[in-house]
Amino acid sequence: MLPNVKDNYITSVKAHVSQFEEKSFRKLASNDFKSWPSPREETWRLSRLGVLSRKEITPITPNFKKQISSMSKFNGSIIIRFVDGAFREDLSSKLPPGSYLNILGEEDSLKCFHKFKDSNLKDHPSTNVSFSCTPSIVKLTIEKDVKIRDFFEIIYEGGDDNSSVHPAFYIELKENSSITIIERFNHLSSLIMPLQLVELKKNASINSLKIFNDNQQSYNLSANCTFLSEKSNYNSFSLIKGGLFTRSETHAYLKGENCNLSLNGVYLSSKNQHHDLTTAIYHDVPNCTSKQIVRGVLGGKSTGVFQGKVRVAPDAQKTDGQQMSRAILLSENAIANAKPELEIYADDVICAHGATVGEIEDDQLFYLKSRGISEKKAKQILITAFLKDIINESVEEPIQNFVFEEADLALSEIISKEI
Amino acid sequence: MSLLEIKNAKLKVDNKDILKGLSLSVNSGEVHAIMGPNGSGKSTLSYMLAGRDGYELESGKVFLDGQSLSDMEADERARSGLFLAFQYPVELPGVGGMSFLREAVNSRRKFLGEEELDHLAFVKEARKVASKMFVKDEMLKRAVNVGFSGGEKKRFEILQMAMLKPKVSILDETDSGLDVDALKIVSDGVNEQRTNDNAIVVITHYQRLLDYIVPDFVHILSDGIIIKSGGPELALEVEKNGYAGLINAA
Repeated sequence: MLPNVKDNYITSVKAHVSQFEEKSFRKLASNDFKSWPSPREETWRLSRLGVLSRKEITPITPNFKKQISSMSKFNGSIIIRFVDGAFREDLSSKLPPGSYLNILGEEDSLKCFHKFKDSNLKDHPSTNVSFSCTPSIVKLTIEKDVKIRDFFEIIYEGGDDNSSVHPAFYIELKENSSITIIERFNHLSSLIMPLQLVELKKNASINSLKIFNDNQQSYNLSANCTFLSEKSNYNSFSLIKGGLFTRSETHAYLKGENCNLSLNGVYLSSKNQHHDLTTAIYHDVPNCTSKQIVRGVLGGKSTGVFQGKVRVAPDAQKTDGQQMSRAILLSENAIANAKPELEIYADDVICAHGATVGEIEDDQLFYLKSRGISEKKAKQILITAFLKDIINESVEEPIQNFVFEEADLALSEIISKEI
Repeated sequence: MSLLEIKNAKLKVDNKDILKGLSLSVNSGEVHAIMGPNGSGKSTLSYMLAGRDGYELESGKVFLDGQSLSDMEADERARSGLFLAFQYPVELPGVGGMSFLREAVNSRRKFLGEEELDHLAFVKEARKVASKMFVKDEMLKRAVNVGFSGGEKKRFEILQMAMLKPKVSILDETDSGLDVDALKIVSDGVNEQRTNDNAIVVITHYQRLLDYIVPDFVHILSDGIIIKSGGPELALEVEKNGYAGLINAA
């Protein structure tokens, strides 16, 4: 509990819950939201939320007639829209065969809630607040053996000043199914608390791209809980560039043998932005691989955080876990924090981690300038090159250009402020 | 008017005097060789000319085709027509050779008021020039200088020179790390670009390169100043007697 701070938000969350019909998961969740995490809690030490206690924020009541402002970025994508945190069927695509969406009822919502509460995201503020306040939990199911080539494009938008939004999205892939999913966070709210539960059954696979590009004054506290069964693949890439404070926290539980996980990401931060990629990977069984490659580019007075924990259980022999974080600082006032953690209880594993923080190399910059390329362009070329291999490795070819374009916009902003 | 005019250049690096009043005048159509022992200031001279940070003149002046370089950044100097072939070309992981060349060439073309080349036109031109320099297409697709052999790096430098068509080229120890065959290819590439409208300054330790790129003038740089200038025969004298005799005589 943060001392001596009157927290209006806790009161407003409880008031908001009372508007809903009596639902046990909401009540349980709201009872568990007693405070914002204290900076004394290790995982929140580098990303502090104290300021939220002093803001006047109330959970939004969704406006189902609100006009949308974010257009689709892909031809032929399957669009699923959340506005003000609520699923908007009228603004979403018809789903292809073998996939369907439904809104969870009381019993299933409670099960979903317990999956979070049984995980190490149990005390994450979004877990408690969003289960209290979400308009509904929306579930996307992909049937057994269904492989969908078209991209799912999930667009999250809406919200307004002094409101919080609470989209809750549950994705289940049954055996041998596969999808590519692109999520774009474009909210205007002060506070965004997305919840996501992902369950991959045997031999299922997801390629996931998340672009965090919320309003410049927003706080986004995204919580993702993923369970991988035998031979499943979760290949995820996050690009964090928007918001005043964006923390994408993912906890992945490797529950079946021979599954592969990658949680890669890039943060591009300028002005006084604070960007945080926090991951926890739990290798509970043998013969699985996990990889996290994180790159950051920081200008202005921005801060970047990468916290990556890999836990290898005593039985999880032959685990291969890799973690690498690199950040480039373009300003003397920018800060990059990296906190890789390995907790290994098995003896036959390959686990490695590394972290570097540096500046653009003078030699490289001079070489480009000596060819007539302006300093601004030269920096952009070098930073794009710094991000290139990770983007090419993490993102499917048809969407690589989209990611580079999205990154370029943020990079131009960072670089122009530094010259 | 000279294409390159250096007047009484003085420069300190890490608070140590390196150039101590160097003057040099290079006219169009000329090739000048600057020779000197280790530590005489050769690389400092090339960095000073190219405009590297930390190599600003303490006093003296440098003009490129009549225009003072002192207030110009490295990129402006390059766009104005100055080219430095690096002794140790820098590796740029993740930066593709073709897109790098195109960015450089179009920066120069834009400065000259010429139309920028689109991708197709550029690739065609680059391949044409590259084949003359024995630079394979495959090398242009790779990241700049990454995994290149010593010879490939130098050929790529001269390829850039050929594409950028500078007024003045400074070749900093272009012969270092080259075997005889590579030396010949690189020198042929340089010789092909000699015209009456441009000038080349070759900086080298050894006379060997000057068998291939025959200079009009040879200057001996020692302890930050030019102590002797002459024709190609001066290089032969260095080869025969070493620098010590010349330095002592000065």
